[in-house]
Amino acid sequence: MTRARRAVLAAWLLVLAACAAWLYTHLTVQTEMTVFLPPSATPAQRLLLGQLREGVASRTMLIELRGADPVALARASGELARALRSSGLFALVANGDPALLGAERDLVLAHRYLLSPAVTAQRFSTEGLAAALREDAELLASPAGALLRPTLPRDPTGELREIGRLLAPAGGPRLAHGVWFSRDDGGALLSAQTRAPAFDVDAQARAVATVRAAAAQAGAGRLAVAIAGPGVFAAQMREAIERESWRLSAIASLLVLAILAVAYRSAGAVAACALPVASGLVVGVTAVALGFGAIHGITLAFGATLIGETVDYPSYLLIHNAPGESLWRTLARIGATLRLAVLTTVFGAAALAFSSFAGLAQLGWLTIAGVAAGGLATALVAAIVPPGAVRLKRSGLAAPRFALAGRLRGAAPWIAAILVALAAAFIVSRRDRLWDEDLANLSPIPEAAKALDQRLRAELGAPDLRYLLVARGAEREAALETSEAAEAWLTGRVTQGELAGYDAASRYLPSRRAQQARRAALPDEATLARNLAAAVRRSPFREGAFAPFLADVARARGRGFLDAEALAGTALGVKLSALLVRDGEGWAALAPLRGVTDGPRLAAEARQAGFELLDLKEESNRLVGGYRAQSLRLFALGVAAIAALLALSLRSVGRALRVLAPVAAAALLDVALLALLGRQLSLFNLVALLLVVGVGLNYALFFERPQADPAEGARTRLAIAVCAATTLAVFGCLMLSQAPVLRAIGETVFFGCLLAAALSAAFAGRAAGYTRPGA
Amino acid sequence: MRVALSAVLLSAACCARAAPPLAPAELMPALAAVAASHATFIETKRSALLKEPLVSRGTLAYRRPDSLEKHVTEPYDERIVLDGGRLTVDNRTRGRKTTVSLASVPQLGALTEAVRAVRAGDLAALELYFELRAEGTPERWTLSLAPRAEDVSRYVAGIVVSGAAGRITRIEVAEASGDRSVMDIREEPR
Repeated sequence: MTRARRAVLAAWLLVLAACAAWLYTHLTVQTEMTVFLPPSATPAQRLLLGQLREGVASRTMLIELRGADPVALARASGELARALRSSGLFALVANGDPALLGAERDLVLAHRYLLSPAVTAQRFSTEGLAAALREDAELLASPAGALLRPTLPRDPTGELREIGRLLAPAGGPRLAHGVWFSRDDGGALLSAQTRAPAFDVDAQARAVATVRAAAAQAGAGRLAVAIAGPGVFAAQMREAIERESWRLSAIASLLVLAILAVAYRSAGAVAACALPVASGLVVGVTAVALGFGAIHGITLAFGATLIGETVDYPSYLLIHNAPGESLWRTLARIGATLRLAVLTTVFGAAALAFSSFAGLAQLGWLTIAGVAAGGLATALVAAIVPPGAVRLKRSGLAAPRFALAGRLRGAAPWIAAILVALAAAFIVSRRDRLWDEDLANLSPIPEAAKALDQRLRAELGAPDLRYLLVARGAEREAALETSEAAEAWLTGRVTQGELAGYDAASRYLPSRRAQQARRAALPDEATLARNLAAAVRRSPFREGAFAPFLADVARARGRGFLDAEALAGTALGVKLSALLVRDGEGWAALAPLRGVTDGPRLAAEARQAGFELLDLKEESNRLVGGYRAQSLRLFALGVAAIAALLALSLRSVGRALRVLAPVAAAALLDVALLALLGRQLSLFNLVALLLVVGVGLNYALFFERPQADPAEGARTRLAIAVCAATTLAVFGCLMLSQAPVLRAIGETVFFGCLLAAALSAAFAGRAAGYTRPGA
Repeated sequence: MRVALSAVLLSAACCARAAPPLAPAELMPALAAVAASHATFIETKRSALLKEPLVSRGTLAYRRPDSLEKHVTEPYDERIVLDGGRLTVDNRTRGRKTTVSLASVPQLGALTEAVRAVRAGDLAALELYFELRAEGTPERWTLSLAPRAEDVSRYVAGIVVSGAAGRITRIEVAEASGDRSVMDIREEPR
């Protein structure tokens, strides 16, 4: 190694070390999944994403304790609820114990004349009161009389009952021993709402750990604890992926090292192969961290996958090294092809880099910077590996002949064309099932977890939040007023049997206007006393029995209005904050609907009545569809850029086609194969396909490259065999993963690269002749 | 409330002196043997809130083990049906029908269980909610029920059921508020 080369190497390593040091102190890894969601185009989608991030349904953790007799479970449920409440991580913890709702009861009692929609002037007239007292007498004689008795003197008009009907609709979980139980009586149920959003995976992981620790303490470690919920699953999946990717990447690295060691039989050469990929990672991550301020965990994982291509670069260089030739000389020979191999990947990634989705843009820049750095580092490999360091086995050169491919060459174009046509037809026939439409599958969870979530959700009667009626307003008050109009309309629909029921923000906090109207409906003290006395005379009740009622109404007339601050810290406040949300510039009051019989019809009717009904499932499918369309457009743009680059660099449309066609065919067959295996495609497959194209183009480029003599032809085949072997080893390992994401990437790349290597060997290579025949 | 409670206990104590002690379990076989029955009732509710007692009349119908119907015919028409864990109140005079799951209102569950479980001779269910005390003879007995749970005793101090062999003749409820209701029953087992 000359002094100059040593200086260049030292400078390069210094730059890498500086980058690594900077990253060590400055790198922030984001875990929020939403940067991988597209910027929402419509207000409905913005609301949907808001619900996904912050909504009650996504922040609710469902917990079940099993493995003891019901009495012990009930006790453990109480202890767990207390522990979780005092942890500060949860906004609301409920286990069915009504004693916990004391603060809410007092609040409702104090503000009942503002909260109850039944409050009208008529209700407090002599006639209204007489009717109320008749009903009270019947209720007093009924089985529920004893329960009603304590509040009857204060509330003869039954406002507490009215409010109770609104806020606690029928159909909750079953109660036993004072807490919620599963239908089979074997499990105590709790629901806990985290303060942190569902996509804050770190906070969710902390919350899950807290639940586990508290449950272990409450049950003395003997109880089985099941926890479900979107945030929980996100945390669990990340943990599983991290654990598996460590194990699998360790196995994969060993396999790659073994393959390279067998091929080169030189420790130095194997070590040199690590330089480009390490450079690529460090430079790529640094570039993203500098450009975006942070990097997403998923970008990092995918990026490492995409940059994996750079491990091939030194292989092309080392294996193309002719006997007695210096590596510099080899680099000069294959440099144009290698440069094109790097540039095609850069061009493909550039399409992503200009995406409006932060996640995809990060991925694009990471790949561009990483692959470019890997390419440059390959030149350094040429500089530091001394000539003759790589002792390729001569006999090995002849081995990978891709004999089958060669023999098939005559018939192959026809077979391949038919296969590609069949694949295309198959993909077209499957076009409606090809893509995974479910937004939830952006972070796919195992089936067992999905089943647990569904069971607990059904047992607890937790909302599935599919249909939402949205009342918007520039101000909070305006949104609440629209919500009240919507309530009136919805009540009509309930009577018509079009839905079973609904919840609404304005039930927890009526608009100022409604509160004013209700307060104005309360008569002054003298009038009310006169009306009541007349009504009592006609009833079985004793004079003076309702003195507390007169006092309460007088107090209510003098009391201020109910506002969000008064509800803060109570279960009602938690409900309100979930249903009354800031939406862009204004406010949205939400009304989740239950038991909708005909969604589309109700939506049409709502539109006609001037309300906005959101079908979250359909909206989320549309969102995923839009996302996919944009990703596909970018993908196509990238391929077009690559085609243009190839045509310009190779100075021939024919040569460009020969390089591009096998890879495009491989990608097409790959997709068809995945569909045939019953897989639905997602973002993960798409990114993996990008790698297939990047790696496949390298194969095709090297096969297509003019070969000087049979020895060089053999070296080309060996280089591609080694590169394909390492790629297949790595992604074959991922195929074995339990995590759906890793498996999806593994399958796509494994099949894709196998196909790309075979098709490139068959069609990209020059049919006959060497530029220096007979050498 | 305390007065009412001691009144219940006192009346129970009086009976206890009049007759030898009786185990609640001894009453159950005769009660459990009844598969279905029909009865008429007169119920008198006395309350500090009322000018005079509320008197209602109607019929009761029972089918083993957990179907119970109370049909008030006078002075208004109201049908209260207990079917498994659900209580339906159908007031025809008002045209209002409501259904409650007893699991969602545990106090109401305990109160309906007091009647249902005595009628069915279901000792285990009774003991889950109440402390029991039986007086008299298996042919002429009274069974006193004191709620175990604080959230039930906040409303009801005690219930005394009187009967003759497999028939129930009277149900008295002493509420924590001091209100009392007495239901006299003429039952015809079938």
